[in-house]
Amino acid sequence: MNRMASNRHLEEFRGKGLRIAALSLAVLLGGAWNPIIMHAAPPAPLQLFDAASAAPRPLEDATALAIQRDYAHAWRSLVSALDENRAGLLDENFTGSAHQQWQNAIHTQQQNGLSRHIIDHGHQVHVRFYSVDGSALEITDTADLEIQYREGSKVLTSERVQAHYLVLLTPAENSWKVRALQELPPG
Amino acid sequence: MQAPGSGDATLYLFGPGGASKRAVQHGAISLSADELRVAGRYTAILDGSSTSFFVTAAPLQKISFIAHPSRVPAAANGAVLGAAFLFDRYQNLVLAPTAVDFRLGVEGTAGEERKVTSQDGVAWVQFNSGRRGGPAQFTATSGNVQTRRVVQQVAADPCGIRMKASRASDGNILVETAPIQDCSGNAVPDGTIVTFTSVDAAGRSTVDARIKRGYAKAELPASTSATLSVAAGVVLGNEIRWGGGE
Repeated sequence: MNRMASNRHLEEFRGKGLRIAALSLAVLLGGAWNPIIMHAAPPAPLQLFDAASAAPRPLEDATALAIQRDYAHAWRSLVSALDENRAGLLDENFTGSAHQQWQNAIHTQQQNGLSRHIIDHGHQVHVRFYSVDGSALEITDTADLEIQYREGSKVLTSERVQAHYLVLLTPAENSWKVRALQELPPG
Repeated sequence: MQAPGSGDATLYLFGPGGASKRAVQHGAISLSADELRVAGRYTAILDGSSTSFFVTAAPLQKISFIAHPSRVPAAANGAVLGAAFLFDRYQNLVLAPTAVDFRLGVEGTAGEERKVTSQDGVAWVQFNSGRRGGPAQFTATSGNVQTRRVVQQVAADPCGIRMKASRASDGNILVETAPIQDCSGNAVPDGTIVTFTSVDAAGRSTVDARIKRGYAKAELPASTSATLSVAAGVVLGNEIRWGGGE
């Protein structure tokens, strides 16, 4: 129910954004209203966001939207950072041990002329824990990832994995940051 | 790791906390603990073939403990919440179900205690606040690891405010409360506003006074016949009919 509500809000949000953008364009064109086909930004890689079992505090719709936005962005940043060996891309969405560990991964990749190219086929996210004071949120994420391990431009090997992550997020000034991103053994 | 064959080879190791490339000899290849600090999936590549394995967290070494709120009224139901995140020495979440003992209590009282088994690296608990005001120690303990927070338990709303009235030397009405306490007997903090009201034929007079040393007192305008009342927040005290020698 919560997931449906979140999706509905997301659609409303997107729809509203499109209407505002289209209206602005029409105003710029001197008031002439022409049907304009616009595409929203590429959809977030979240295929499912289920907050129904969040405890001890239920997740408010606005918070759910913010988490979907920020967590999707964190993954886009991580994928780019590992591919391009740019640790700075992590700064906006990662903090604490998650930031440290992936920063180390990128530095050592860079030192050894290695990289990881990830094709992200989507995530199924379940919220497990949301602290009463709103200072921590834990989710599980099943991610469908295609990973190419590279040395320079040469692909050493590649694999497609259903990776299960346990993720700890904490709020920063105006976004949620990933504090722990730990892959779990299957089963 | 076992790498069948003989001679030199290059081992690539990709993990969540690093990536390395080094020359190895076929046979038994050992990985150092330092290479495997971060829990998660590792992919090793040797001679074009690869294998993945998982590293799990080391034993618990640190509890990150969120206690909420830091200040709470005494004897409030379910008002205190604590969440313990369990980490190993490398900041990996300890995912194995682990018993965590939570305890909340002011020194000298029994307090509340509960054992909770962690799930996905987190254990949480909800307690009633204690009846006695003061700094309550809120601890989360697992094995030899303990983390402590302090939750200040303060008096709840006043309970049964009683006042008496007398004539002041200048003719005004002097009103003074008995010691103001919550329903558990904790003194309501000094500075809390108490409102005294007098209603008579001339209208309504209201005086706000702060609790000082446990009491509140004020002077209301002189009147021959008035109804006096006292309140603090939403809590009403007794009412006095003033006049006729009272």
